[in-house]
Amino acid sequence: MAPESTEIARGLRRRDPDLLDRLIEQYQHRLFRYLVHLTGHRELAEDLFQETWIRVLERGHQFNDKSAFGTWLFAVARNLAIDHMRRKQPASLDGLLHEGETSFDVPETGRASALDMTLQHEQTEQIAAGMQHLPAEYREALTLRFQEGMSLEEIASVARVPLGTVKSRIYRGLSALEPWLKGAAL
Amino acid sequence: MSGDAHERARKLIALAGAEELSAADQVASDAWLAAHLETCDACRAFADNAGETIRGLRAIPMAAERGLVATTQMRVRRRALEMQRQRERLWVVSISCTAVTVCALLSAAVLWRGFEWLGERAQLASSVWQVGFLVFCVMPAVVAGILLLAKGTHLADHAGSYQG
Repeated sequence: MAPESTEIARGLRRRDPDLLDRLIEQYQHRLFRYLVHLTGHRELAEDLFQETWIRVLERGHQFNDKSAFGTWLFAVARNLAIDHMRRKQPASLDGLLHEGETSFDVPETGRASALDMTLQHEQTEQIAAGMQHLPAEYREALTLRFQEGMSLEEIASVARVPLGTVKSRIYRGLSALEPWLKGAAL
Repeated sequence: MSGDAHERARKLIALAGAEELSAADQVASDAWLAAHLETCDACRAFADNAGETIRGLRAIPMAAERGLVATTQMRVRRRALEMQRQRERLWVVSISCTAVTVCALLSAAVLWRGFEWLGERAQLASSVWQVGFLVFCVMPAVVAGILLLAKGTHLADHAGSYQG
């Protein structure tokens, strides 16, 4: 049990607004990135971002500090995203895909001083484009693994799937992005 | 070379560093993968591409806007305040209910004695003053219920006329 998790659990039970402010600051980019990749909609991700923190406030006493706070937070966000999709149309996480095209805009790098930077920027754009076309489950697994640096066990806990499924999603997701890296699928 | 070997190699590449293996298993697995990559151009290309893809994934910029964070913090604080007020109201209601229950129990005992004394003085059968006691106790609740019901019907009628 990490001392940080214990401290957070205690604060959440008290519904300490200062602690929540700090947590929102700390996890803002990670949570938002996860929601954008999961839902494929920036606006929806913004709504869910706010709802997630309200839910954290309301259900904070359920965080039992046995897991990392980040894992629990992402699981809360995921449940809200699924609830949202169920309300809209009864569907699984698959419903999050094909709903609309996400644009994971990659901003200009500013100083295009080196060819490497331009190439890297193009490559990132291609991968971002490829992510839009992956099933939501793969996007989620890739985001949690490579952007959030979660362990396989943590991803399994967030996505509530067996470890083998997580491995398979990461492998298939990476394989599915391969053509995008080469630019063949563009 | 079998397809299984390529699949195994690609899975090892995709999950590099993620699986918790014992030191011996890790060494054996790394050695097997290195040997496989020596002889398999396709899997070597996959390893290169996977590395590039992972670097690309990490480089996708995706940041929450400052306004979103500020709005969220404000909403959370407002909701926290609402919840605190609800808790306070609940506390007041709980205290009131407890006080009412205690008073009701105390007054019921006194009233029971009073009705008993009146029954004896008026030489009534015990069942009569007991029914009287019951009616006396229940009547305020019945009247309040009727009034609330009447008020509810009145409001429902008005709501209907607004909609109509």
